Amino acid sequence: MDNTLSVNVARVSALAKHYKPIIKDNPGVTLTEVPGLTLWQLAVWPDSLQRVASAVADQIGVSGAPGFGRSNTQAAVSMLRIEPLKFWVIGAALTEPDPNDGAVLDLSHSRTHIRISGPHATTLLNSYLPLDLREQSFAVGAVASTAFHHVGVALWRTDKGYELLLPRGFALSLWELLVESATQYDLSIT
Amino acid sequence: MSASRLPAGGRIDRDQPIEFHWDNRKLKGFKGDTLASALMANGESILGRSFKYHRPRGIMSAGVEESGAIVTVGRGNRRDPNVKATTQEIFNGLQAKGQNAWPNVRTDLGSVNGLFSRFFSAGFYYKTFMGIPPMEWGKGTGIWMQYEKLIRKAAGMGVASREPDPDIYDHGHMFCDVLVVGSGPAGLAAAVAAAEGGLDVVLVEQDFEIGGDYLNQSSTEAERKRSSQISALKKLGARVMTRTTAFGLYDYGVAGLLERVTDHVAVPAVEIPRQRFLTLRTKHTILATGALERSVAFGNNDLPGIMTAAAANSYVNRFAVQAGQRIIVATNNDSAYSPALNLARTGADVTVLDSRTSLPDNILGLLDTKGVSHRAGTTALNAVGKKGIASLELASGDDGQWAAGDSLTCDLLLVSGGWSPVVNLLSHRGVKPVWDKDNLCFVAPIFDEPIQMAGSANAIWGTSDCEASGNAAGVAAVAAVKGTGMNNVTSAPGAGGWETPIAPLYEVRVDNKKTKCFIDPQHDVTADDVRLAHQEGFVSVEHLKRYTTLGMATDQGKMGNIIGLALMAEAMGREIPEVGTTTFRPPYTPISLGALTGRGKGAHFKPLRRTPMHDWNLAAGATMTDAGLWQRPWYFARQGETITEAYIRETITTRETVGLVDVTSLGKIAIQGPDATEFINSVYSNAFAKLPIGKARYGIMLRDDGIVMDDGTSWRLSETDYFMTTTTAHAAKVMVFLEELLQTRWPHLQVHVTSVSEQWAGSAVAGPKSRAVLEACVADPASVANEALPFMGVIETSLSNGVPCRIARISFSGEMAYEMYVPSDYSESMMDLLWSAAQSFDGCLYGTETLGALRIEKGHVTGVELDGRATIDDAGLGKMASDQKSYIGSALRSRPDLLRTDRPQLVGIFPKDKTEKFKAGSVLCSENKVEGHGDGWITAVTHSPTLGHWIGLGYINGGYDQWSGQTVVAADPVRTGNTNVEIVSPHMVDPSGERMRG
Repeated sequence: MDNTLSVNVARVSALAKHYKPIIKDNPGVTLTEVPGLTLWQLAVWPDSLQRVASAVADQIGVSGAPGFGRSNTQAAVSMLRIEPLKFWVIGAALTEPDPNDGAVLDLSHSRTHIRISGPHATTLLNSYLPLDLREQSFAVGAVASTAFHHVGVALWRTDKGYELLLPRGFALSLWELLVESATQYDLSIT
Repeated sequence: MSASRLPAGGRIDRDQPIEFHWDNRKLKGFKGDTLASALMANGESILGRSFKYHRPRGIMSAGVEESGAIVTVGRGNRRDPNVKATTQEIFNGLQAKGQNAWPNVRTDLGSVNGLFSRFFSAGFYYKTFMGIPPMEWGKGTGIWMQYEKLIRKAAGMGVASREPDPDIYDHGHMFCDVLVVGSGPAGLAAAVAAAEGGLDVVLVEQDFEIGGDYLNQSSTEAERKRSSQISALKKLGARVMTRTTAFGLYDYGVAGLLERVTDHVAVPAVEIPRQRFLTLRTKHTILATGALERSVAFGNNDLPGIMTAAAANSYVNRFAVQAGQRIIVATNNDSAYSPALNLARTGADVTVLDSRTSLPDNILGLLDTKGVSHRAGTTALNAVGKKGIASLELASGDDGQWAAGDSLTCDLLLVSGGWSPVVNLLSHRGVKPVWDKDNLCFVAPIFDEPIQMAGSANAIWGTSDCEASGNAAGVAAVAAVKGTGMNNVTSAPGAGGWETPIAPLYEVRVDNKKTKCFIDPQHDVTADDVRLAHQEGFVSVEHLKRYTTLGMATDQGKMGNIIGLALMAEAMGREIPEVGTTTFRPPYTPISLGALTGRGKGAHFKPLRRTPMHDWNLAAGATMTDAGLWQRPWYFARQGETITEAYIRETITTRETVGLVDVTSLGKIAIQGPDATEFINSVYSNAFAKLPIGKARYGIMLRDDGIVMDDGTSWRLSETDYFMTTTTAHAAKVMVFLEELLQTRWPHLQVHVTSVSEQWAGSAVAGPKSRAVLEACVADPASVANEALPFMGVIETSLSNGVPCRIARISFSGEMAYEMYVPSDYSESMMDLLWSAAQSFDGCLYGTETLGALRIEKGHVTGVELDGRATIDDAGLGKMASDQKSYIGSALRSRPDLLRTDRPQLVGIFPKDKTEKFKAGSVLCSENKVEGHGDGWITAVTHSPTLGHWIGLGYINGGYDQWSGQTVVAADPVRTGNTNVEIVSPHMVDPSGERMRG
C-alpha cells in the first residue's frame, strides 16, 4: 500500500464516538487515546536479523535494535521487539526491503493506542494483566505481549506512562472495562 | 450466659457508637466491635439454630472457625447467608438476622426435630427414603427422587438472595518477594525481618486490625511491640493488607487473596468494588497463620454459653465484653490459665477444671492469689440448660477413665482441648501434615517448597518464641530470595512451650450415661455418628467425612476434624496418625461467587469484538447477531418487516440489483517472504504454485488427518506477498496452525505470517449491479472493468476519496461480486460511498441471514458443513485436490475409510411438497426405515426466494447418485415432525456459475 496517497477523509478510531474527556485536578489514573497511530511491522530472517534491524533503527533514528522484551524510543518514534524475529515501529513508516532481508507490513489501523498514566495506573492494569509491572521488573523501555480479558495485547512503558496497543475490534470492549475499573481511582480521560 | 460490656478497656472506640439491627431490633455497639462482640455485649446469647436438630447455638469462638453464630447479613439483593458473626465488623445500619429458624432463633418451632434426634443419625435420609421396602425392593429409587425435593427444602444453612448481585468485584494481580500470611507476633516479626533484608513484602491479615494474638493481650508491652512493628513495616515500604484472606496456595508461588473492601462500610461508593479477588505471585511464602483452639466432645457441648477459652479472652481483652459471671474453664493444657486469670481480674467467679492431675506449684499459687478455684483430674461431662448453660455435670478420673462427679452452676463454660496449627494453606500444596505427639496436633513436615511456617502455625505456643520464630523465618526468606545462603539464619525455636505437657482429651463419657456430644456443630455431627460409621464398616477417614458430613460445613473441619479422627482412631484401636487426616482444600474461608466472577459478567462476560463498521451498520438499521466474539449484522429490517420478510427482500434485491454486506470478520493473514508460494502451496490441498500476481484462488486446507480444516481465498499481491482470508470461525485456528507449521515443521522456509484481520475492514458487493457500484466508488472506474478485473482478479487501488483499497472479484453469493477492503479507520467512508452508489441502483444492505440464504442456494459450504468430520470429497470438492503435490493431509486423506463411496456426501434438499418446510438438524432417513441415526442429516435450510420454496443442504450416505429420485424423510420427531424430501444437487441456483462470471 502506498502510504503517501492523499486521503481526503479523516480516520475514525474504534473509540472516537465512545468517550468524552473527563478532567480531574489530581487524577489517580489518566486514560488517553493516542490518535492517528502509525505502526509498521518489520519481520526479518534469522540470518538477516542484526543487520536489517540495525539498519532500520538507524533509518528511523532510534539507538539500535532493541533486545527481547525491550524498546528504544527517540522523540515520537519507538521500535519494539515484539517477537523473536519481529519488530514494531511506532511513529514512522517503513519502506519495502529486499525480500531476502525481510518484510514490512502496515498495521497502523489494526491497533488502538491507549496511554495509561497516574499513580494508580499499575494497579489498574494489574486488574487485568498478569504481568509483574513493578519498577524493577518493568521499567521504562520494557515491552510485553500479554493478555487483557482473554485478548492478546501489546504493552510498553515510556516516560509518559504505559502504552497499550489493543486489537481494534476489541478496543471499545476493553476500553469500557478500563473506564469502569478506573472510576474508583478518580479517572481522568484526555 | 450473662455477658456485659466492661466500663473501660478493650480496643473498641467508645467515641464512635454504632447502631445496627439484629432480628429487626435496633442495638448498639462501638467501632471496633464484631457482630459477635456487639451482640454479646447486648446480652444476646442464641444467635443461630443448628442444621438438623435446630438446637440453639451461641458464640463458640472469636474467629473464622466459628460454628455457632452463623447469621445472615444484609437484605434484598445484598442478603448474604452463613456469615460468621465473629468476623463481621459492625457498621451503622448493618442488618443481621438469625437463620435456619422460624419465627426466630430464640423460639424456633423447628427445634421439635431435636426430639427425634436419635433417629437422625448419619445417612438417615438415604437409609430411610432410598429403595423403600417393600415397594421399591430392587426397583431403584423413584420415591427418593420425590422425597429429595422436600428434604432439600427442609435442610440447608441460610438462603441466598435470588436477585442479581448489585455489587461490583475486581480481579487483580500482585507480585512480591515474600508473602507473609498472618500479622500476629510471628507474622509481624517475619515481615519486618524480610523487609529489613531488602525484600518486597506483602503482609496479609484476614482481620480488620493488624496484630493477631497481640490484639487479645491486655499488656501495654504487647501493644508497644505491635505498633512499633507496624511503623517499621510502613517505613520499609512493605504492603500491609487488612481484611484480606489468603484463601489458597497454588503452584509456583501463586497465592489467592480475597480483599473485602466494603463489607464493613455502611454506604459504599458505587464505584468501589465490594471485594477484590487477587492473584499474588511470590518468590517466598511465610505462613504465620496461627492456631485454632479445639473443643472437647462432652454432653451438650453446643449449648449457648460454651466457647473456647481463647475466645472469652479475646472478648474481654479486645472487645471489653465479659462473656459471663460464673465461669468454668475446662482444659487439658496450660493455655487456658491466662484467660482464666484475665476473666477473674475483671471480676468474674472463675473455676478451672484441668483433666491433668498434676500442675506446677507456681500456676496453682497464682490461681490462689487471684481467687481462681482449681480442680485437677476433673473435666466437663455434661452441660445442663435449656437455652444456655446453667450448670455443668463434672467427670473426674485419671488417664482417660472418667466417672461422673458432682455438678457446678455456671453461666459460661470455656473449653480448651488443645490447639490445631493452621496448616490448611500448606495442605493446599499437597503437603501432608504429621502428628506431633507431644503437642497433640498436626504440624508441617519437612517439605520442599519455598514456604516456611512460623509461630503457632508451627505449634510454638509462647508469644516471645513466636516472635523469634517469625524473625528467623524472615531472615531465612531473605537468604533464600537473595541466594545468600543460610549461614546467617538464626535457628527458630522448636515446637511447644507449655510447662506441663498437654494430656489427650477428645471425648468425655462415662458408662450408663447417654449424652449428645457434638464434634462438628455446624452439621450436627456427633461422636455417636462417628462410632456408627465405624460400626457400618467405614475405615477410611475420607469416607467417614463424606458419610457423616464431618468437616463439610462452612468451617471445613477447622473445629471438629481432630476430634473426629481421634474417635475414629479409638474405635479402630489405632493411633491418630495411623487414621490420617483429611486434605484441606481451598478456599480457607468461603469466597463469594461475585468475587470469582469479577467484572467478567453481563456485557463483559466475554470481550465483544466489533467491526469498524459496527456503528455504521447500527445507524443503517442493522439488527446484530453474535458470530463467535464478533457481532455482525443479522438483517436490516425496514419498517414493519419481520426477519423472514427482511432476508427474503435482501436476497431478491441482491440477485436482481446489488447488496452490501460487512465481511470484516473473515480472518485475514499476511503471508510474506521469498518462500511464501512454496508455503501456501504446501498448506492448501489445491494447486497454488502457479497463481499469478493479481489473482485470487479459492483454497481448501486439510488437517493432518485428511479432514477439512478451513476454506477461504488467497490473493497474490506480489512475488513474495499473499493475502489469505479464512472463515470467521476458524481465523485464529488457521493463524495458529500456520505459525506451528513454520516453527516446528518447516523452519527452513523464509516466511512470516501476521494476522491482519484488524487492519482491514471489508464489504462484499454482490449482484448484477456490483461492478457499476464499484465504478462509482473507485478513483479510476476503468480499473474495475471486466477486462481489468475479471473473475478471481485482484487489484490494489484507491477510492474516489483517496482511501487506499484492495479489491478481489470473488463470490460467495453466486452473483457477480467483489470483496473490497480498506484500512479499518476508513471503513465508514467506504460504506458511505458504496451505500450511496448502491442506493442509486435500488440496492440493499444485507446481513448474515441473507448471506446464508444466498450461499445455500449456491451450495457453498461453511463451518456447519465443514464440521470436522467432512473430507474434501464429502463436501463435493474432491476434484480440486491436487494429486501432483504433497500437502498437509495429503497422505491421510487416502485412508481407505475416507475413500469409501458410501460416506455421507453433500447434497441439496427440496421438500416433496413445495409448500412444506423442514429444519436444520433433521435426520435424513430412507422412506422405509425412519429410525435411529438414519442415513444423513440436514446442515442448513432457508426459504429460497429464487426457487420459491424451502431448500436445504445436508449430508447423506452415498450422496446424490444413490438417492436421486427417491423419497427421503427429513425426520424431526421432537420438533416439527417428519417431512418428505428429495435429494438434489447442492448447486441449486445457477449451477454453471454464469452469473458470477458475467
